[in-house]
Amino acid sequence: MVSAAVRSVRGEMLIDLQEINTFTEIKEALETQLHSINGYLLGTMVSINIGDKHLTNKQLHEIEDILLDHGLHLKDLIRTSGPLSPADVSSDDNFSIGTMPDYENTLLICRNLRSGQNFFTEGNIVILGDINPGAEIIAGGNILVMGTLKGMAHAGAFGDEKAVITAYRLNPTQLRIANHITRPPDGESIIVNNPEVARIRAGKVVIEKLKI
Amino acid sequence: MKSRVLVITSGKGGVGKTTTTANLGTALAMMGKKVVLIDTDIGLRNLDVVMGLENRIVFDIVDALNGHCKLKQALIKDKRFDGLYLLPAAQTKEKTAITPHQMKNLTGQLRDDFDFIIVDCPAGIEQGFRNAIAGADDAVVVATPEVSSVRDADRIIGLLEASGLENCRLIVNRLRSKMVKRGDMMDIGDIIDILSIELLGVVPEDESIVVSTNRGEPAVLEKSSTAGGAYRRIARRIMGEEVPMYSGDEPENIVDKFKKILKLAK
Repeated sequence: MVSAAVRSVRGEMLIDLQEINTFTEIKEALETQLHSINGYLLGTMVSINIGDKHLTNKQLHEIEDILLDHGLHLKDLIRTSGPLSPADVSSDDNFSIGTMPDYENTLLICRNLRSGQNFFTEGNIVILGDINPGAEIIAGGNILVMGTLKGMAHAGAFGDEKAVITAYRLNPTQLRIANHITRPPDGESIIVNNPEVARIRAGKVVIEKLKI
Repeated sequence: MKSRVLVITSGKGGVGKTTTTANLGTALAMMGKKVVLIDTDIGLRNLDVVMGLENRIVFDIVDALNGHCKLKQALIKDKRFDGLYLLPAAQTKEKTAITPHQMKNLTGQLRDDFDFIIVDCPAGIEQGFRNAIAGADDAVVVATPEVSSVRDADRIIGLLEASGLENCRLIVNRLRSKMVKRGDMMDIGDIIDILSIELLGVVPEDESIVVSTNRGEPAVLEKSSTAGGAYRRIARRIMGEEVPMYSGDEPENIVDKFKKILKLAK
């Protein structure tokens, strides 16, 4: 089997898949490589060099899902030659706020939530402030935090798997969407200085960069 | 072995009840015992943070007692030891959310599955305290060598005895042997004279406690921690072993050793 070359450039990872021809082989090579560095580079942005091959949107999503399984995010798809086909450009690279599901009511809270305080609403919640550890917000719809989310947030509390949790800085104790519960991995925390969004993808809560 | 319910209490806040609970529980689990820690400080829960299990909480003691979930669902398995579990307190409710009667039932149920049930009591003498002591067989009173802490410990021991908990033992926490030697701090003898209860152990002041507490890793896991060592010895005493008491002497450093040798040579 042809193996993929992995390089690290300024905290980002570059995976070279130029030499690999079929998509199945690409996936295999990616899995093997990522398995060997499992958990080691959690949260790293990855660029993939696919040479002159074309990937369909579905294939791109499969690659993204493989990376996400290993805690990595796809940053760029690099093509070294050949014309760019429309399929190379994914419309779903980053989640944008406009893609949130609709709810009738939105509760706006303009203060910080401290430990022991909690809010519940059937619709969306927007918070202009921080949610500290020990605070809880539960919404039937989406949760948008214009501040740092350090406590617990539960979106889609009635079972809506499309609900999302968005925060200016997402650093939660625990996240819940519909009936999925996740928590950050044990050990050193990863500091991301970007707005992020948590949503369910292929039955798992994943965290992605937010495009505004 | 018959299971025991231990309540860790003090009256005064900030003397190390939660740290003691976390460390004794972990030390007993290290010895292969099945241990469950119960945080009864509803509204001001800390034990989960000290144990590093905060992000695993889904259900809490109030959910379990009010039938929102099964007791087993609210128990959080420790990330280091298989035999160690935590029943966290609720953060968004108040002490009155549970009753002493419910606590008695709860500890009764847990007796079937655990060797030790360690209850972390909140500060104060109100309902939180009454909840915590409801199902206990033994009490461990934590006090620091300060007049205020010893006074509160005395009050607590009185309340424990009045409620039929005769088996009280004392842990003196944060002892600074250098200050005791200078005569600036109460020594163990003074404290025992006032409280006249059995001494279970002495834990020296140790900076590593702050580090381990912030990291969510009990100090007993750290071989080099003096306080961790003291807690390990206390755990062995709880198991009925005879272990010598902490003498208050800090391990000699190289400079002191050198000075001693020079003195001898003269």
